[in-house]
Amino acid sequence: MKRPPMLMHVIIRGERRGFGLWLPLFLLLPLALALFIIVSPLILISILVFWPRGWRKRALHIFGAAFEVFCSMRGLNVDIQGDHHCVYISAV
Amino acid sequence: MADNKKKVLEMLAQNKISTDEAYRLLSALETEGSASEGTPKSGTAAKMKSKYLRVCILSGSEHEHGGKSDRVNVRVPMTLIRSGMKFTSLLPPEARDKVTGALQEKGIDFDMRNLKPEEIDELIEALSELEVDVAGSDGETVKVFVE
Repeated sequence: MKRPPMLMHVIIRGERRGFGLWLPLFLLLPLALALFIIVSPLILISILVFWPRGWRKRALHIFGAAFEVFCSMRGLNVDIQGDHHCVYISAV
Repeated sequence: MADNKKKVLEMLAQNKISTDEAYRLLSALETEGSASEGTPKSGTAAKMKSKYLRVCILSGSEHEHGGKSDRVNVRVPMTLIRSGMKFTSLLPPEARDKVTGALQEKGIDFDMRNLKPEEIDELIEALSELEVDVAGSDGETVKVFVE
């Protein structure tokens, strides 16, 4: 099981203004889980609605796959620097 | 391996082999098991080796902008590429058709419908040998490699 990223560092700088953020993803995960539990009845209904269309498998797997993509983000590093602009995203 | 151990124990219970022989056979099985765990398959080794896809772009206009040059430095974990590719297999056929159409409009002849999950690992493995190094006349460089 891959460990999800714990922190995300985002820096965006424009010509005049900019900001830097340390996003504590480990704090967002319990919130996301709580939200998932709240929304799960709706998900269940949507799965039942899409059942005849053959989307059942996709609907069941999409959350697992999305979580896998999220967990795989650990180590992602995007650093773009221009003359007066800067975008830096790093998942730790 | 568990089956082999079971067979040895059964043979011991049926008095076909002595306790010494059973002990030796079990030890041999354990040694064989740990040896095979220690030598990973070539595919797995390749996966372990290449961890990130790096894209580095450096503009050659360093002196024109007061010492600062435009640069792009992207490091994408190979696991993210792998799970992203697997994620595409969950796309509904209608969406896949649209993506394929959009790619063809841009001149890229790539049909997502032909992408099978078992081929994804092969594709990722092949990426480990990728190396692109382009140098422009103005000093700009583009490097794409796996590390």
